[in-house]
Amino acid sequence: MTRFHPLTVTDVRRETRDAVVVTLKPSDEDRAVFDFTQGQYLTFRRRFEDEELRRSYSICAGKDEGVLKVGIKRVDGGCFSTWVNENLKPGDTLEAMPPMGAFFTALEPEAAKHYLGFAGGSGITPVLSIIKTVLAREPRSRFTLVYANRQISSIMFREELEDLKNIYLGRFSVLHVLESEAQDIDLFTGRVDAEKCAALFKGWIDLKSVATAFICGPEPMMLAIAASLREHGLSDDRIKFELFASSQPGRARRKVEAANGADHGAACEATVTLDGATRSFRFPKQGQSLLEAALENAMDAPYACKAGVCSTCRAKVLEGEVEMETNHALEDYEVRQGYVLTCQCYPLSDRIVVSYDQ
Amino acid sequence: MTDTMPIEDYLAQGGVLTSPANVPPRYRGELLRLMASFVDSELAGSAGFADTINDAPGIQERISAARIVLEKTDHAGQVLKVMESFGADGGRYAAHHPWAARLAREAEIGATRQGGDMRLSVFHYPLEGWVDAVVMNVLMGRAGTVQLKELSRVSYQPLAEVFRAILPRETRHAELGAAGLARIAADTEGRAKAKAAVAYWYPRVAESFGHSGSVRFTTLSRFGLRHTPNETLLAEWRAAVDAELSALDLN
Repeated sequence: MTRFHPLTVTDVRRETRDAVVVTLKPSDEDRAVFDFTQGQYLTFRRRFEDEELRRSYSICAGKDEGVLKVGIKRVDGGCFSTWVNENLKPGDTLEAMPPMGAFFTALEPEAAKHYLGFAGGSGITPVLSIIKTVLAREPRSRFTLVYANRQISSIMFREELEDLKNIYLGRFSVLHVLESEAQDIDLFTGRVDAEKCAALFKGWIDLKSVATAFICGPEPMMLAIAASLREHGLSDDRIKFELFASSQPGRARRKVEAANGADHGAACEATVTLDGATRSFRFPKQGQSLLEAALENAMDAPYACKAGVCSTCRAKVLEGEVEMETNHALEDYEVRQGYVLTCQCYPLSDRIVVSYDQ
Repeated sequence: MTDTMPIEDYLAQGGVLTSPANVPPRYRGELLRLMASFVDSELAGSAGFADTINDAPGIQERISAARIVLEKTDHAGQVLKVMESFGADGGRYAAHHPWAARLAREAEIGATRQGGDMRLSVFHYPLEGWVDAVVMNVLMGRAGTVQLKELSRVSYQPLAEVFRAILPRETRHAELGAAGLARIAADTEGRAKAKAAVAYWYPRVAESFGHSGSVRFTTLSRFGLRHTPNETLLAEWRAAVDAELSALDLN
């Protein structure tokens, strides 16, 4: 079920103090698999001690560059991003799934559209891919980028964006907004919030001409911009979001030790958490799945197929041991982390602690 | 611009999620349940309608019925693809239930799901001939349009995009049904048959909107997976179909 393929690292270039751009090459037979669409992301996996971590990073190359590139900014306490920033070197291998994501609109070579992009910090990566591809493949379209950063030194791809302005004269413009560095025009200092958006839409960006707006950045920025775009008349189907990886847990967590001991009882004492509420009940070890027992005890646990196929009923076993009768939905690494399909789950130990909230 | 906020707050304020990696666990469960309910309803609806092709009185009606069967299956497939990105085994899923199976015509199941089959309860009732199928398609078609409009706003962007793409085609299905119903209601005998079918299907379709004051609605709206309460959607549907039916003198 897992579809990971090896990619060879051909270059690691330092982009800012805490971000690198990694160039990757698929093997000849995987070339078609990694034929990405602008704005898509790659999901990598790597083992850290005894736990596998998966992280997704947007491709920052354009479709016509002939390579795969991802920009990876180091996150405080982030296991994967720190390792990449400090240890990754040309010649190494990274394992990745084929490109995924729908942060793009279909290319129309004949179109003359005006695209608007908002990027916050490393949220520039998929937007850069879109900019480069659209400008190359739609010769009559133009792109306006509003790019928010803390200060000049933290701007990723600053030079590349300048080069693009020169290559595509008159078709590409960038408005840099810096949070903690004063600029000539007040409008370009501070955060991109509702007020700033309103000012931008008044004097700098003609929203009426915009076909699609792309937004990628941290959550509060995305909320503020989306709300402002809607308020100024852009409909939902013309706003494309890409939430970047901030919600991914940074550190590899230790696996919970299974409670060992004499487990000979015919029934199991289950402690189940759902929506922050915890309930305990006993149920027979055989004949009834954990999901059925939870439903019977008036817990509104999520499920759909009850056949181990859809993964709606996924939960995490925090203590105790269980066995799954069938599993067509969870991958090995999820199972190692303690995830189970509760519709297929029967207890082995006399006590289990399970959560639908983790 | 590296400030972040808890994902729950982000969702409560109307934020949008974009990939399986962004999605918190409880959100994941409810999102998958919502998708499963749609997929099961489309597969069951399409499977039930397949037999109707042979009941169709003319070539145009046969084409309409076949098209509805084809496109509803395709819509199920599109949402199943989103489920697959969460790990669901699409191949097994599409075959794990006998989608054409139906209960007895007079079964009393209310709005409850049957077993591990998440189809809306209305899709458990059997169709009885062409007129019955057309009436069901008109009533449920309008319900589907109302519900899809609501679902086009779900906070999971890849799914919202699929629903937005599906909506015009499902709307077209309801229109095909309405055209067929107008032909049926043109004569007295047809009108009488249609009236009987309306009496049977109207309350069952109404039931598919769920309860008012639903607890699940509260959970789903916190996640941005629902926005408009069941009773409001039901009222919208009633207004639409009541007007349609009275124009044909069927209620």
